[in-house]
Amino acid sequence: MQRYSIFSLIKNAFSKHEKWDLAWKDPSPKKEYDVVIIGGGGHGLATAYYLAKEHNITNIAIIEKGWIGGGNIGRNTTIIRSNFMYDDNARFNEFGMNLWRNMSQELNFNVMFSPRGIINLAHSDAQMNAYARRGNSMRLNGIDAALLNREEVKKIIPMADFSEDVRYPIFGGLAQPSAGTARHDAVAWGYARQADSMGVDIIQNCEVTGFDISGGKIQGVRTSRGDIKTKKIGLCVAGSTNILAEKLNMTLPIETHLLQACVSEPVKPVLDGVVTFGAGHFYISQSDKGEMVMGGDLDGYNSYAQKGNLPTIQHVLTGGIALFPFLSRLKMLRTWGGIMDMSMDGSPIIDKTHIDGLYLNCGWCYGGFKSVPSSGWTFAHTIAQDRVHELNEGFSLNRFSKGYLLDEKGLGTKTWIS
Amino acid sequence: MSQSHRISNEGLLNRNKEISFKFNGKKYTGYEGDTLASALLANGVHLVSRSFKYHRPRGFFGAGVDEPNAKLQILLNGHSEPNVNATEFELVEGIEATSQNCWPSVNFDVGAINNFLNKFFPAGFYYKTFMWPKSFWYKIYEPFIRKTAGFGVASIEKDRERYEHKYEYCDLLVAGSGPAGLSSAYAAAKNGAKVILAEDKPRFGGSLLTDEVTIDNLSGKAWTDKIITELKEMPNVIVKNRSQVFGYYDHNMTVMFERTGDHIKDKPKYTPRQRLWYIRAKEVLLSTGSIERPIIFGNNDTPGILLSAAAKEYIKVYGVLVGKKPLIFTNNDSAYETALEFKKQGIDPIILDTREEHSSELIDSVKNQNIKIRFSYAIIAANGYKKVQSALIGKLNKDKTKFENSETIQCDCICVSGFWTPMVHLASQSGNKLKFDDQIDAFVPYKSKQNETSVGASQGTFTLKDTLDDGFKTGFDLSKKITNNNNSTSPPNVNEIKKNPHDKFWCSPLPKDKNFKRFVDFQNDVAVSDIEIALREGYRSIEHVKRYTTLGMATDQGRTSNLNGLQLVANVEKKIVPQVGHTTFRPPFTPITIGTIVGREVNMEYMPTRKTPMHSWHKKNNAVFVDAGAWKRPRYYKQGNENLFEASKREAKNVREHVGICDVTSLGKIDIKGPDVAEFLNRVYTNSWSKLPIGKAKYGVMLREDGIVMDDGTTTRISENHYHMTTTTAQAANVLSHLEYYLQVVWPELKVNVLSTTEQWAGAALAGPKSRDVLAKLFPDLDVSNEALPFMGYTEGNLFGVKARIFRISFSGELAYEINVESDYGLFMWKKMIEIGKEFNINPYGTEALSTLRIEMGHVAGPELDGRTIPYDVSLEGLVSKKKDFIGKRSLQKEAFNNSDRQKIVGLVPVDRKTNIPEGSHLVLDKNAKLPNPKLGHVSSSCWSFENNNPFSLAIVKNGKNMIGKKLFAVSPLRDSAIEVEVISSHYVDHEGKRVRS
Amino acid sequence: MLYIKCPFCGYRSQKEFAYGGDGTVKRPELNQNISDEKWNEFLYLRKSPRGKHIELWHHVAGCRQWFKVQRNTVTHEIFQTTKMNEEIK
Repeated sequence: MQRYSIFSLIKNAFSKHEKWDLAWKDPSPKKEYDVVIIGGGGHGLATAYYLAKEHNITNIAIIEKGWIGGGNIGRNTTIIRSNFMYDDNARFNEFGMNLWRNMSQELNFNVMFSPRGIINLAHSDAQMNAYARRGNSMRLNGIDAALLNREEVKKIIPMADFSEDVRYPIFGGLAQPSAGTARHDAVAWGYARQADSMGVDIIQNCEVTGFDISGGKIQGVRTSRGDIKTKKIGLCVAGSTNILAEKLNMTLPIETHLLQACVSEPVKPVLDGVVTFGAGHFYISQSDKGEMVMGGDLDGYNSYAQKGNLPTIQHVLTGGIALFPFLSRLKMLRTWGGIMDMSMDGSPIIDKTHIDGLYLNCGWCYGGFKSVPSSGWTFAHTIAQDRVHELNEGFSLNRFSKGYLLDEKGLGTKTWIS
Repeated sequence: MSQSHRISNEGLLNRNKEISFKFNGKKYTGYEGDTLASALLANGVHLVSRSFKYHRPRGFFGAGVDEPNAKLQILLNGHSEPNVNATEFELVEGIEATSQNCWPSVNFDVGAINNFLNKFFPAGFYYKTFMWPKSFWYKIYEPFIRKTAGFGVASIEKDRERYEHKYEYCDLLVAGSGPAGLSSAYAAAKNGAKVILAEDKPRFGGSLLTDEVTIDNLSGKAWTDKIITELKEMPNVIVKNRSQVFGYYDHNMTVMFERTGDHIKDKPKYTPRQRLWYIRAKEVLLSTGSIERPIIFGNNDTPGILLSAAAKEYIKVYGVLVGKKPLIFTNNDSAYETALEFKKQGIDPIILDTREEHSSELIDSVKNQNIKIRFSYAIIAANGYKKVQSALIGKLNKDKTKFENSETIQCDCICVSGFWTPMVHLASQSGNKLKFDDQIDAFVPYKSKQNETSVGASQGTFTLKDTLDDGFKTGFDLSKKITNNNNSTSPPNVNEIKKNPHDKFWCSPLPKDKNFKRFVDFQNDVAVSDIEIALREGYRSIEHVKRYTTLGMATDQGRTSNLNGLQLVANVEKKIVPQVGHTTFRPPFTPITIGTIVGREVNMEYMPTRKTPMHSWHKKNNAVFVDAGAWKRPRYYKQGNENLFEASKREAKNVREHVGICDVTSLGKIDIKGPDVAEFLNRVYTNSWSKLPIGKAKYGVMLREDGIVMDDGTTTRISENHYHMTTTTAQAANVLSHLEYYLQVVWPELKVNVLSTTEQWAGAALAGPKSRDVLAKLFPDLDVSNEALPFMGYTEGNLFGVKARIFRISFSGELAYEINVESDYGLFMWKKMIEIGKEFNINPYGTEALSTLRIEMGHVAGPELDGRTIPYDVSLEGLVSKKKDFIGKRSLQKEAFNNSDRQKIVGLVPVDRKTNIPEGSHLVLDKNAKLPNPKLGHVSSSCWSFENNNPFSLAIVKNGKNMIGKKLFAVSPLRDSAIEVEVISSHYVDHEGKRVRS
Repeated sequence: MLYIKCPFCGYRSQKEFAYGGDGTVKRPELNQNISDEKWNEFLYLRKSPRGKHIELWHHVAGCRQWFKVQRNTVTHEIFQTTKMNEEIK
């Protein structure tokens, strides 16, 4: 594989950039693979990469209905954090933070991981206490966290509304300085390129039409490009999980919902890190390109449409102006939508299933991007070893019925309000 | 230089009104009716911006929403706004415009060094470098990239402008007032339909303002004026200019923004800056027209190169010549019209037509005017850096893949036309499946999903006659469908020049050994070579191409670049365009001000503010308020220099020693009536309600179906079939919906009705040993003795003529009552209580003292009922009936809920009896243990126990029932504290609950 | 913004309504022995189909009635709304 570097860039410049290799090939499916990963999104691509790298399994196909990176890895707001209260979520994502920090070098692809920090704002003492509970839990898990008072917040985001005529004044906030953002598409492409170089077949425009199961065991998968034999299938299709579950005669603790996001026109840097509003659902960061990247609530009803309606955007941006009144003058450039696997406690599922050889990776709600490396790493382990790793033990499918819920928000099963 | 390029015999301007403005510090003048772009062009200014990546000089390219380059920073009414599109911005007196993304100036921009190094910055170069050494990314590379990115500068001032929203319903919304829109709106309106006609530009008429046509012997402009005048007089029509339909959403909801303020100098105070219209139309007619697409050639981004239709619009609408030595480069007839317009001004253009020599009515008339045409010619590259000086042109070979010769010709502007692209954005947003029409080499709407119809150029119809015929017919048909009226209007007679088919030529080949940059997307500097690299590297899906090269992702959303991009991908991939597909059209059509989307819900109006009837009294008595959802509640009443802690301590002490009064109006209140209420409450609450007598209240806990505690409160039986339920402030709305759900969806057979009465009753809690004395004086006729009105008793009384409900319930652990009167008498009641209670040392207390009192007693509240606790966890298992079924009961059997070491609420006191334990601390065995330090539980609520004169906290701890007496550490790394604590019972005061019963 | 026909009030904007989730979920009868599996199914398992979906909505800023809606989860088209005691055809 060609190494990317400033030198290769210069070298290729003198051959008019005509000698760059394919970032990944575009093979036709073989008859049989050791493992088939369904879903060429971040989680699927990372899983294949770690299967090859950590477990020496390279006879792998990733099959993707459309084009790789076209789902939520290419539609999210790129936030990376591990500021969770529950140990399972915190440790899993902190493990991921370490993978993020080295990702550009490991993948030899600049994913632009940028740890510029996140602040969750609080607008009452009660909220400060709730954040203290979360932040202390993070610290006891070895994750960086700081509780900021109003003055400290003001130093970081002086353009937030610290005036008198504000409905919910800022009391302070919980910060995770090591959190940040990354270039989402690059993550998908970086994993794809390395997986491909280790022999993984990335097969695009290949839709799963059915599964071949006998004796309670996976035997293969049927696709629009022919049947493929395999003993192990990893399902990484958040957003479409329920569609494939139906083909497997499974019903899962997941509802499918629509989340929108939007960006402003690019402006010169004004906001350094990620900020979330505490008196409404709104979060914001500024991309390296200068666009304000903003998101908030789900559209609030089951949906598979990758486009939403304006009232949700209006509602979210109303929170935006309440927090940063200057946003009012900026212009919204683009809105888009993604389809979320909303699990019944807001935390993911990475587990084996009752079908031998079928492994499940789903339920990412709207937080899947940050977990791409940790999810890929643990899912690869789960598939290769046929047992869960201690990092994803808590993300079991049966935690719901048994009551071991990981409900960070305490909202229960009304997935559409979370 | 005074409007050197202005002409006097054309233009729709008010020349009586001169407007002066500044651009990059220099003063210029224009006329009322100019855009910033036309005014600058009138002054001969082309160079206005620098491109994103290479900082190449850029000028105006279009004359409206198609403009990719001319985004300027504008200072208007004292507010600086970035990325304003100069081709749309209407000139107002005194504005100051500056170029963006250049330093020190647009004329000399240091960043242009990127242009000379551009071969090192191909598409996606940043993915391949800036990785070594690792720390440099954070410290050097990324900060530098961030600094160079972004266009304008966002002002961080609070926006004090006013934005409004409007909701409108109509039969037919017509988006765009060109010939298609005018005719359909007119036909529909004449047939009695309620019509809204929206035009994005200040002037109605679209192409009718610039095309040489006659309709019923009128010019396009005159016909437009006639139709608009008539429409405006019709009561069933709303006609709006400066109004762009920018989004098409589900259920035929369209959204439009209207620019109401920025074009007015010294706008009146209450005139909004912009207005957002939510329009629900039965039918939507899209007459959004088309935009010209460029032909790609070398250095095609040089200032002075414009779309040919834009050049014509500058002449016809603004009376401005974009150049005096024009070169016209086209693959179709429409650019010939531009040539004729130049000729009218005494200027001789040269036309390069990629087509082979042929004739048409239009071409012949151009020839007759002695305008020079070179057929089978194309521009190889433009010369000139900050302004086009000349063009290298060549004769194309037969299959147009090569140039047979080349020569340089002088010119001061190039008008380019690569045929027309229908604006299908709104149709596509509505769900319309587009199809590729290879007659026009563009996508057109094909299968509607909603009630949407495209007419005219937006549907790929480029002749005026067909457009008007379609417009009149469609307007009539759609209106007939809705109104059932049958008054059809016949289309007018039209005179227009026939045009020949266009040529598919879209990109000039690159001569061997030449390295001209040929731009597909101007703003983001995406050149042909960039797309070729992406494809070479395997980024082959059009979405991959877009994301890897940023094609079409700039603020103009690729309006002039998308189709050429697709064409290029198709060529390289040896496909046809429909196989490549198109990227998604997403709202908004053009960038829209965020303030407009938000409207009036800003500042204090971000959320409604709910105030209790006693709010004014609280305010007068120095209450410091706390937000409880939408409610404002007194947190404490400040006396002198007291802080929160001192005040709440004083207030709590007064309750424990004398009597306090607290506004509890915000608690949720639900009126419940019907013969089956007791049964219903049995199912809703965990405890039994079968035997509650009239005149008695009871405390209850309700669960979610998953076994988690949802809320707690009391319910009182007022009469046989009439109950009054209270909820917490936070859960009031949820509980009501919850009850309605079970009554309407799950158990419709129950005869029970629920109604929120939160706003109907004002409530005051009277708490403390002296509360009965106050009560007795408040209700002299009432027997308020412990026997007559026992704990959890209920009675009604007459409070100086006002009917009052009296509940003997307590949240403070003291003898206490809650009195409700109708809201309008709330303040009266409150004042009476204060007045009468004076002799008993009555004092108001706020939510902070309330918390202190409840924590001491071990009463749980929000911090404990956090959506994760079951009754056992908060020691409410005693209220869980074993006998009857209720919502959530089955879930209590879950394994995790029955573990022997299940978490449970406990009390904590610091071992030193001094140090307050911060809420949110976690309990650990060893404060110095290595991380991750196992957590045993967390501190949910803390207070200063007035009774025991030391801090006290509630905590929810693993294996809590066996922890009593143990010593642990409450650690808060965030606050740098580690306090040794002793675990005790959660009931710190009055274990047996004697006081409430006294 | 969806345009929803409340069976009691007629067409109203989505802003007046609250979503209530899958309308096919049936709460097990009270006082019955319910297996863990059945209870888990009721509490957590959702088919969440792509296409036609029967769901509940609540007219919170109107008549406060819950009702049934059949809606396409891809196009958001609403086919039918009915009162709770009526069947979606």
